[in-house]
Amino acid sequence: MKGDPITEALFRAAIAALGDEMALTIYRTSYSGVLKNIMDYSAALCDAEGRLAAQGLSVPGHLCSIPVALKAALARYGTDIAPGDVLAMNDPYEGGMHLPDIFVFRPIYAEGALIAWAATICHHTDVGGRVPGSNASDSTEIYAEGLRIPPLKLFRKGVADESLFRIIEKNVRVPERVLGDLRAQLAACEIAERGIVELVRRHGAEGVRALMAAAMDHSERLTRAALAALPDGEATFTDWIDDDQIDAGKPIPLVCTVRKRGTDMEIDWAGSSPQVKGAINNTHSYTAAASFTAAICVLGTEIPNNDGVFRAIRVRAPAGTIANALPPAACAARGLTGFRMLDCCLGALALLYPDRVPAASEGGNTGITVGGFDAARKPFIYVDFLSGAWGGRPWADGLEGNTNMFANMASFSVEVIEAEQPLEVLEYGIVPDSGGPGKFRGGMALSRTWRMLAEEGILQVRADRATHRPYGLQGGAPGTPSCNMLDPGEATERVLPAKLTMTLKRGETFRHRMAGAGGWGDPLARDVRLVERDVCEGLVSEAAAARDYGVVVAGEPPRVDETATAALRAQLRASRAPYPAVAREALPEAAE
Amino acid sequence: MSGSLRIGIDIGGTFTDLVAIDASGEVRVRKVASTPGDYTQGIMAGLAALLDGAGATVAELLHATTVASNVLIERKGARTALITTAGFRDVLEIRDLRMPRLYDLAWQKPAALVPRRLRIEVTERMRPDGSVAVPLDRESVAAAIARLCAEGAESVAIALIHSYADPAHEREVAEAVREALPDVAISESAAILPEIKEYPRTSTAVINAYVQPVVRTYLARLEEKLAAAGIAAPLRILQSNGGLASPEFAAHFPAHIVESGPAAGVVGAAALARLLGEERLISFDMGGTTAKAGLVEAGEVLRAEAMEVGGGVLAGARLLVGAGYMLKLPAIDLAEVGAGGGSICTIDAAGAPQVGPESAGAEPGPVCYGRGGTLPTITDCNLVLGYLDPAGLAGGVVRLDRAAAAGAIEARIARPLGLSLAAAAHGMLRLAAASMMRAVRAVTVERGRDPRDFSLLAFGGNGGLFAASMAAELGIARIIVPPLPGLFSAFGLLVADTEHHLARSFRTRVGEAEPKAVAAVLGALTAEADARLDAEGFAPERRRLAFSALARYAGQSSEIAVRLANGQSLAENFSEEFAHAHERTYGFRAPAGEAVEIVGFSLIARGVPEEARLPERLAPAEADAEQRRSCWFPDSGWREVRILGRRALGAAAAAGPMIVQEYDATTLVPPGASAMRDDFGNIRITLAKADRNAEET
Repeated sequence: MKGDPITEALFRAAIAALGDEMALTIYRTSYSGVLKNIMDYSAALCDAEGRLAAQGLSVPGHLCSIPVALKAALARYGTDIAPGDVLAMNDPYEGGMHLPDIFVFRPIYAEGALIAWAATICHHTDVGGRVPGSNASDSTEIYAEGLRIPPLKLFRKGVADESLFRIIEKNVRVPERVLGDLRAQLAACEIAERGIVELVRRHGAEGVRALMAAAMDHSERLTRAALAALPDGEATFTDWIDDDQIDAGKPIPLVCTVRKRGTDMEIDWAGSSPQVKGAINNTHSYTAAASFTAAICVLGTEIPNNDGVFRAIRVRAPAGTIANALPPAACAARGLTGFRMLDCCLGALALLYPDRVPAASEGGNTGITVGGFDAARKPFIYVDFLSGAWGGRPWADGLEGNTNMFANMASFSVEVIEAEQPLEVLEYGIVPDSGGPGKFRGGMALSRTWRMLAEEGILQVRADRATHRPYGLQGGAPGTPSCNMLDPGEATERVLPAKLTMTLKRGETFRHRMAGAGGWGDPLARDVRLVERDVCEGLVSEAAAARDYGVVVAGEPPRVDETATAALRAQLRASRAPYPAVAREALPEAAE
Repeated sequence: MSGSLRIGIDIGGTFTDLVAIDASGEVRVRKVASTPGDYTQGIMAGLAALLDGAGATVAELLHATTVASNVLIERKGARTALITTAGFRDVLEIRDLRMPRLYDLAWQKPAALVPRRLRIEVTERMRPDGSVAVPLDRESVAAAIARLCAEGAESVAIALIHSYADPAHEREVAEAVREALPDVAISESAAILPEIKEYPRTSTAVINAYVQPVVRTYLARLEEKLAAAGIAAPLRILQSNGGLASPEFAAHFPAHIVESGPAAGVVGAAALARLLGEERLISFDMGGTTAKAGLVEAGEVLRAEAMEVGGGVLAGARLLVGAGYMLKLPAIDLAEVGAGGGSICTIDAAGAPQVGPESAGAEPGPVCYGRGGTLPTITDCNLVLGYLDPAGLAGGVVRLDRAAAAGAIEARIARPLGLSLAAAAHGMLRLAAASMMRAVRAVTVERGRDPRDFSLLAFGGNGGLFAASMAAELGIARIIVPPLPGLFSAFGLLVADTEHHLARSFRTRVGEAEPKAVAAVLGALTAEADARLDAEGFAPERRRLAFSALARYAGQSSEIAVRLANGQSLAENFSEEFAHAHERTYGFRAPAGEAVEIVGFSLIARGVPEEARLPERLAPAEADAEQRRSCWFPDSGWREVRILGRRALGAAAAAGPMIVQEYDATTLVPPGASAMRDDFGNIRITLAKADRNAEET
């Protein structure tokens, strides 16, 4: 059936606006900073069968997780769904992602029939388990990770299930926040219902069904048109997670094969590590989210996210691997794996489409939690995420001080941390000489240093890229590794592992330096003016300018010595091998 | 015109609008070309034309200017430095990390207004309670000053960690800089924004420093030229918050006037709402490239606590931040979408129609302008359907080529979609209306309001063309198109009041608040407000102070302003008042007993004028002879439609379709709607309430 193109376009605009209104409703009504600052939530509209029709602006990491979860809920309840029902769930082994992500679904009825589903997912501050924030990377079973909710009815025909609410209330550390955020999810579903009912009034139930289907077809056509414009090919890329904190020092390989033929793409994770002991195992839906994010980055950003996109791009992940774990694998800290999968999938795409893909980012965010009791024995929990460097791009330098693509996260204000937590922040800034040199260099790392002011607290850090550096591409160098340090600059200074759980005592300081991002292209081909600017800005030292770029910069303000630079570059070209197409290690020192 | 005139001057990118009003309410207007090299030239030319033969003196000049925002958009500010606490020079650049576009590998964040080289650290440290952790190191200050000098900085922002708690170190640094470098402009962060959160405060101070020398020079030049022209009337500048301020204040705190231009129209809308007794009004301002919606409730404009400037217009900007420069000062809350007369209509890769976000702008402009544009725009669609006069805009200055517009729409839209020319053009207008509706929904639905409870005040060159179809889609029954719709922002200046908005951080739980400490904060706010209004020449009896507490449920991460009913302290039932405000804003309240915390206090200090500023009516211009033109509507196809001037519109409702054509704007009254002119001179359009599907094709 060919519909009216204007009506279809108006309908797409209407459901896109509705998806955004749902997301905004969560934004303005939620309690926790996790949702407000970190935007770790999503909202969507699905059709009666659970297919994604529109997704509000939110976190890429939730792409397509909603239809998977909704289908699991529908499988459990079948036709036992009635107006006024609300379903909730978080079980990774029955449609969920990891326990802090609670899904809430509400069926929308009009003209006596089920028309659509309002769907929301929020990362909750805490869902119980052995550590505050329910995010530990060193749990080894899901049973340690918190309250596990299979698809259940939170409301039946408009009546709240008190037992479920009370179980939630008693199993989380901050019930007022969790319940407050659940209310925000319910409010978003209500906004969706109002909007869909209005659309049905206008187009009829059948009309809305047909228009939702047309919206999906439209996205499928756009996706396939973008795919058709790319050359066919197949490429496999491997990247590594340093370790899972349990088997410390044992690298975990991720292997991604991208096959592109005609108007279809397949992203296959066969060959990736078996599932691991630590809590960084993915569900298939989270692997899919990372895969789709990489594909959309390359295809273009203007395609409305719905089922149509997923029809043209298939994601395969063998069961029992870190990309599709089986119970009871722990998965609370699987965010790390998602970030690395994005690096890995982009790496495969870079082999196919080198002019479209940047070198590796900083590797994703670092999660830092400090918990304990302050002087008045009041408990405190500080949860922060740092991210911030993009790889060099085929057309421009990588960004620094900018969120990782996979999670559009904000950083916490230093002043707010100090006002609310028994912590002092000594420093927060850009680390010079940390971005991988390249024709277009990688973004510089960020560093933050805290001092403990309470008697003591438990410090947990989930970092990575300490032993496997962000790769450079096309002759660009890798970024510098990440580093955790106790008491930097003092006699007691020592380097700590990337993932750790330890007691921080009063007066001790902890510094986390993120990895620098990878560079793109030969550093010796970098515009000398850009090197001069970087030296001027204090981002690249004079020594590094000479060593990495063959550019001689000196004076105040720093200026390039053109003659000396030409000579040095010629000498370096003659004496050192260029970086390989994918660079994971620094080059050996140039021969004299 | 006679006696003494009050004159509103609104500078836009293309035109400078001037509206003068005399004591009897008679109005005279002028639209002259803006002179971007030196905007004062355009102003003086406009004033000369306006005053020519008027035989009147000028009582007051009220000015909205885009000078400050242009400096940010074009990145043409002063060579600016930043002095900050050791360890934090990159706060300005790291921002809050977030980006406004998902999946966009080409995203380029706006370069920091102060390059890293000019971000200079001094050794000092305050604690959150204002106590000193590390005393200010004089040697590091001296080194910073030497650096400023060596780098040739023209302006410097000083933003130290926790300076909101005690600005002593910032002041000390400022003193030292002032003494050593008297020509360098100085912006102290705590003097501009004494609030917690280092990034917004630093960014706001830097914006102030960056635009200050330019704004100061501009205002000085304008005052000089006015004096030379013999105009001794006081000049007042509109701030982003909708209040007027003295040129001295604007020159000192130019960060307050960055969004001066867009604010003026909403101020006019609020004044009109008070006059007409409209409790709930949506202001809708549509020009050539963007459409902006604002909210007026009970005569008060809706304000935002922060904005981003210089980042352009982005869909979803309310969720996805980071496109522009963070300015955390109160501003009239406007939702803006990139849809206007110049928006380009295309067919996407899937064969579906799409309007915008690209715009043909002023050059080459729509196809019908005949300036080389080949891509059909919204203006072309309006022309082809008969809604715009082929004889042209602005009284025939620009002639419009209907055949060229029709050819482009036919070839690029109608044929690929398999639609008639008219159906295709009309479809594009509906798509444009859909994107503009997002702006209206942003200030209503997204804030828990139902647009159906509101009237729509439409202005700007294109506002009246789209008001009826948009209102129909949104379920709004009543539309008001004010007199001088194309110059309404300049008119708004005439009815603005002097206002100063102040705020201070203060953290406490309700119930644990120390009355003495609260009184001290409110007292400090009062003292500052009094000083500012005193400098503006308002005697104590003409000052109105309205205090609010910035409050939230404990655990929430953003707060809302709750008016302190008794003026000077936290009332016993403050928690209940907060819950009420929370419900109004967000649509729900937490269970009783949930702790409420306060994070600060704010104050709006208003200087009340001695006389009412809004006239009782605005007389419409002389009417042109009534014409007829063939126009197309979805249900009835082509039909002859009355084209009339505002003056010809009577006090009794007349049935549409009709088009009210004026010098500066066109208003479309579609079939099924009716229109009349009210006592003030507004066009009032009423839509048949049940007719919400009228626009279905």
